Amino acid sequence: MAVTTAALTISSSDLVGDALSLTTSNTLNKVGSTVGIDQTTGMSVVYLTATTNIDVFPTLIEGSLAFQDKASWVYICNKSTDATEFATITISGNVIGRLYGGDFLWMPWSQSEDSAAENLHGDIELAPSVATGMWFDWICVNEGTEYPDAA
Amino acid sequence: MATINATMSLSSDISEYGLSFSKTMQMNKAGSVDGLELTTGLARRSITNTNHVDLLTAGAGIAVDVTASKSAKVYIKNVGTDATTYINVGFGNASTSGTATVNDNDATFFELGRLYGGNWMLIPWIATSTTGDITIQASVATTAAPQNIEYMVFFE
Repeated sequence: MAVTTAALTISSSDLVGDALSLTTSNTLNKVGSTVGIDQTTGMSVVYLTATTNIDVFPTLIEGSLAFQDKASWVYICNKSTDATEFATITISGNVIGRLYGGDFLWMPWSQSEDSAAENLHGDIELAPSVATGMWFDWICVNEGTEYPDAA
Repeated sequence: MATINATMSLSSDISEYGLSFSKTMQMNKAGSVDGLELTTGLARRSITNTNHVDLLTAGAGIAVDVTASKSAKVYIKNVGTDATTYINVGFGNASTSGTATVNDNDATFFELGRLYGGNWMLIPWIATSTTGDITIQASVATTAAPQNIEYMVFFE
């Protein structure tokens, strides 16, 4: 089985009175087990030139329950060097937050299907703030992916 | 202003082609190179039941100044060691009961993902008025055997 380790260090010497240093690390396992996650989309390197809201993982089937509540981890990074350029991150159109230039996020993803039939079933979406071109990196490390049949 | 650096590293043998990266971000104010300067500090919460409740409430407490035009980052970790129990993290209105608010598309509640023992997450947060609350629900938890989480918000 694969061993995937995600680690984080948060540090600041001047945020609070004493130096702040937080370090954590964990191994990414399949749901409810100590067996490592063994699939990934790979790291995508993406250049977007429109402010259109897009699906970050278009190969995942909308409405599929195959991997709902399985272990999926998502990393998204806005590689813009312009601090004013941001991307709005949503799930099914509901806003999580904004990634400004240089920001990243790391979060679990349930791919949870909602009860509204017209909804997009937990899709992670991203909308750049400008159409002049923005670079992004993203990856999903997950327990499984159901790919759509060829048209 | 303060300088806050967050460095994430991921390493894996999941692919024969290798998978490893490290990225550092400086936590800055929205649209600025000035650092965030406020924090909740590292908080710890012991969860002793399976009710669906707010962890962070938009427009209240520390989030009263967090808006779409400002920057905030939220760190949450399940500090347990049990690989079979988890905290379900979501956005929206908590039911406050053992049955979570319905995961629908009317901007009431949506589920993000699960934090099993040892798992952590770091996300941006704009605390919108509709789905801005960050909610939690333990898979199992009792007074005798609580699940514990730690969390920290950095904001402007």
